Amino acid sequence: MNSLRFYLLLASASLRSHMQYRGTFALRSAIDFGVIISDLAPVWVLARYFGSLDGWSFAELALLYGMVATSWGIVEVTLRGFENFSVYLVRGDLDRLLLRPRGVILQVAAHDFEMRKLARVAQALVVLVLANASLGLGLGSLAWVALGIAGGTLCFAGIVMLGASAAFWTLGEASELQNILTYGGSAALSYPVSIYTTWFRRVITYGVPLAFVNYFPALAALGRTEAAGWPRVMPWLSPFACSVALFAGMACFARGLRRYESTGS
Amino acid sequence: MESVRPYLQFARLAFQRRATYRLANWSGVAVNFFFLLVHAQVLIGFFRARGNASGWTANDAVLYFASSESLLMVIGIFPDYRYNLAERVRTGEIVSDLVRPLTLFWRELAERYGTGAYYLVTRAPAVFAAGWLVYGLLPPLRWELALFPLSLALAITVSAGLWFLACSSAFWRESASGEMSAIVFVNSFLGGVFVPLDFYPQALRWAADVLPFRATLYTPVAILTGKLSGAELAFGILHQMVWCAALALLAFRLESRGLRRLAIQGG
Repeated sequence: MNSLRFYLLLASASLRSHMQYRGTFALRSAIDFGVIISDLAPVWVLARYFGSLDGWSFAELALLYGMVATSWGIVEVTLRGFENFSVYLVRGDLDRLLLRPRGVILQVAAHDFEMRKLARVAQALVVLVLANASLGLGLGSLAWVALGIAGGTLCFAGIVMLGASAAFWTLGEASELQNILTYGGSAALSYPVSIYTTWFRRVITYGVPLAFVNYFPALAALGRTEAAGWPRVMPWLSPFACSVALFAGMACFARGLRRYESTGS
Repeated sequence: MESVRPYLQFARLAFQRRATYRLANWSGVAVNFFFLLVHAQVLIGFFRARGNASGWTANDAVLYFASSESLLMVIGIFPDYRYNLAERVRTGEIVSDLVRPLTLFWRELAERYGTGAYYLVTRAPAVFAAGWLVYGLLPPLRWELALFPLSLALAITVSAGLWFLACSSAFWRESASGEMSAIVFVNSFLGGVFVPLDFYPQALRWAADVLPFRATLYTPVAILTGKLSGAELAFGILHQMVWCAALALLAFRLESRGLRRLAIQGG
């Protein structure tokens, strides 16, 4: 695949430039692993103090966290350029990408490829392994976990593209808004969707398919879909709902690109 | 004695830099409000099984997050990755600081206050009002509230001290962004951004009470929520004052040692 090879080429160029400072790279990777302190430790504190949340033990909450953090981590590593997209747009860097005879989406994706963020994926995987050890999940359940992670990656990819395309209209002034769905979404999804009030639950299920990222697959993995009052089919819908998010993001980005006029100088 | 005027100017400029981007502030309000909703509902969920915990009710927890999300940006829990001391060292811009009779830490502090003032008049009321519309909770009127402004000012100072410490490592290495992320993680956890410290296990609570991090968010927010009184209140304020002084002294030392190490790139 030509485009995949092209992506890897750009990514390895980024990696080489980061590797000029090996010490910094190692230190920053270690610090990125530390995201577990601010993101999972609070869940542990609360679960330890209160016992459980709506029938979910800490190990089960950790499973939710591990799933969403893995998906989001993969997107942060591989599609970093979309998160910073507004900066390229304002600086006029986008024009340079448009001049090259390759897809813009691919080039933006590989821009600022940050290998160190793999540490974020690593901490999420460690959590998943530990949660699995404590829950003793079977092979079928693990398949659901894998499916959820794959779907979540597509969903978050769609979200960062959506956020990036907003920059075509707002020139990056509203770039913080995407944090609601990315960082805010991951924070919200570290807990079962069932605890949220009806309107909020509807928004993150049907408005933006966040609940399909980890909640429904986790319900299936833990065998509690019906106990939670959801139709059996919900976990199966996950890949489709997440793909819709991805296509919506790509479509918005393509639309923005069509209306783009360079800032000029 | 140095003149105060240049620092007032730095504070004013920091205020204006934020004020230029109105839409960015409104986006930020939305982000804070979303996190408020998530934290509040999570705590309400945990409280569903029991009505009262460590003297807290679900309403107290919701008010805590309404206050903390309103004040996050005022206090400066997240660094400015674009405009900071480490970036000035990296780009060599710091030269323009060095040719003037300027103390870098005072500049950092002035900019923190300017930024804080901007968010205090724009971000905080909007987020708090949104939280009030949803949950209808206001801080209880007690005399302890009179100490809130002092506590908030101390919190901003401690925060400035922490960012200065993180940034000053750029004098020795080429960047300080890792140090800044590390402070964000630890400060969020031990400062009580996600969970009020009252629910922490004993050992962690002890660590949080000794280290500077609770001085940034927990103390002012707990005062506003009406959860600190008597000896605990006195300890909270004293803890803030001690860490203000300690961090400032450390900052001055790092400043003079760092400047001796500094080599400006250029040619």
